[in-house]
Amino acid sequence: MAIRISCEVSVTDFPTVLVIALLAIPLLSAAGSFVVRSVRSADNLGRASALLTGGLAVGLAVAAIADAPGAVAAERWYVLDPLGGVFLALIGAVGTLSALNSHSFLDHASRGPASSRRARAGYWAALNLFWAALLAVPLADNLGIAWLLVEATTAASAVLITYSGKPAALEAGWKYVVLTTLGLTVTLLGIVVVFAASGADSIGALDWSALADEVSGMSAEAGLVAFVLIVVGLAAKVGWAPVHSWLPDAHSEAPPPVSALLSAALLPAVLLIAWRTKLALGGVLDDDSLRIPFIAFGLASLAVAVPFLWRPMPFKRLLAYSSLEHMGIIAIGIGFASPIAIAGVVVHVAGHGIAKSLGFYAATPLLRQTPAAATKPAVGLAGGSGSVALATGVSLFALAGLPPFPLFLSELMILLGGFEAGMPLAASATALLLALGFLGLAHALVEAMLGEPRTRRRPSRSARPLIVLTIASAALMLVLTVAGTMLLPGSELVEALGGGPS
Amino acid sequence: MSGFLIGLAVGCGLLIALVRRRRSAIALFALQSLALGMGAIAVSTGYGESSLAAVALVLRGISLPALLALLRRRTPEPRPVAATLPVSARLLLVAGSALLAAAWLPDLGTGDRAAEQGAIALVAIGIAVVALRRPTLFQAIGLLIAENGAYLLAASIPGGVPGLIELGIAFDLVAITAVVIAFSFRIHRELGSGDTDLLRGLRD
Repeated sequence: MAIRISCEVSVTDFPTVLVIALLAIPLLSAAGSFVVRSVRSADNLGRASALLTGGLAVGLAVAAIADAPGAVAAERWYVLDPLGGVFLALIGAVGTLSALNSHSFLDHASRGPASSRRARAGYWAALNLFWAALLAVPLADNLGIAWLLVEATTAASAVLITYSGKPAALEAGWKYVVLTTLGLTVTLLGIVVVFAASGADSIGALDWSALADEVSGMSAEAGLVAFVLIVVGLAAKVGWAPVHSWLPDAHSEAPPPVSALLSAALLPAVLLIAWRTKLALGGVLDDDSLRIPFIAFGLASLAVAVPFLWRPMPFKRLLAYSSLEHMGIIAIGIGFASPIAIAGVVVHVAGHGIAKSLGFYAATPLLRQTPAAATKPAVGLAGGSGSVALATGVSLFALAGLPPFPLFLSELMILLGGFEAGMPLAASATALLLALGFLGLAHALVEAMLGEPRTRRRPSRSARPLIVLTIASAALMLVLTVAGTMLLPGSELVEALGGGPS
Repeated sequence: MSGFLIGLAVGCGLLIALVRRRRSAIALFALQSLALGMGAIAVSTGYGESSLAAVALVLRGISLPALLALLRRRTPEPRPVAATLPVSARLLLVAGSALLAAAWLPDLGTGDRAAEQGAIALVAIGIAVVALRRPTLFQAIGLLIAENGAYLLAASIPGGVPGLIELGIAFDLVAITAVVIAFSFRIHRELGSGDTDLLRGLRD
């Protein structure tokens, strides 16, 4: 039955209205943050719009995933498919939580450069622009537009990384802008090669839905050049080794809520473009050509991250190197591309997002309570604030890949997927590096909880929001473990993500 | 696209890696960008859609050097920042990386082999300039040289890449270049110099 709403938009167009609202709300909120008259109003506007945007993102994502394997909104200017749905839900949830946690960070930073209304408005504007661009990435039905959106994230997030105004933040921001822009230029060249070598005549040829057909006339050599350029360029933005040097600096210098967005939302969003490109060029390139770049970047990222996970380092920097490790694992899973590996990738993307953002949100009260933790390893948290200890403990426990949290399951699935894909050497090397990484993070976890505190702590403020967030995150991760075990392997969703029956 | 213009663009890129003064680098970048714009206009004659892209490239070739010149004037350096490597080593590295990239690139089948090789060479030169030159302004120009490489290939396709060049250039000017210039100002204000070697606090 055709139900119509007052502006003559039929329910069949309802997803389009929601998508427009999803992107418009953070943009309007960004503009509105300069209009409101007080710091408190700017905070309230930021939080209210975040709740609305996050609700819309998660709702659209659930609709997209539930409708797997068909695209919910094919033939439109955006794409709402199961693959994008997984990432949209993650970006929506992390963005909402980052906005809700910003208040705590901004209040703490208010003795510094964030004291003025203009600085506060600037923060909210940049955060909303960054988030809007991120939300649009999984919805973009075009490789060229997706590239532009990732460029947009660079501009907005660079401003946020330098928010503290410290020289170290300036260095991190400059390194981030230069390296990621250079990487995206290489990607742009790859996109132009796709266009030129496929003989396309309109920008619509770069639509994800059309790309597989468009490239069918392309030579394998040209296809390989385009694929390598696109993936290598995106690697600089995903933070895969050896083009990762901006990642630890930017993550450690950005405000904690922004670090959470960078790690749990930006990196996977860019990785999604590389994944979609792999799926689109599947008809032109052989399996090895498609797999090798992902597996090579994945193993290199693990190999680079592991020695740093063994070193004592400040908490946020430790989380940054953990991001390098986890983006590597996800890359390897995409490279293996067997059904069980793809199921593992889905669980890993979601599990990493929850665990990592919880860690960064815990960093705000941690740094308030122990300012020395900005430059030295966090030690002996169990003797201090219970909420900070609980949040950091749960985050590190999950990131180390310990059961019953989902990263244990996802890593196991990816490893099994490697054997299933007939790549035992790569799977064995991954298992070895994962074991070493686990030992490093497990050591950091024990030190962080039970080590002897070296500095005095300031009394902590109300801990209730962090405790609620920790319990909710832990519960969500447990649900993810169960769902990942019971529902994902062999599901239509996994098949739709390129992990079809082998 | 004309082989002469492609050669001119690549030659300007090589010289940017070698010159000492920021003023010279900006002038060479302007020449490179205008050569690219002229080449695009020549290719696009007869293709209505891509002529807009060619005009956008010419405008970019005028506006970006003007912005960079403004940046140079507002961030005076008491003396040119010394390069990490001598000229001969830089020439060897930059020319070597450009030649290697051009030799690695298989025939893409666009019908303009010189543009294909010129594009990848410019991207390699841009990366080398970012890696080898310390001043923020040189690194910004390195980024723009690499972008010129992508635009060279796009502009050499008969019919162009409708929309992508215009959008990319508009975005360059509005967002990325603005951010890069704002960063350069802040770094100069903070350190009294645009020498990125002074930004070396973050090390593991």
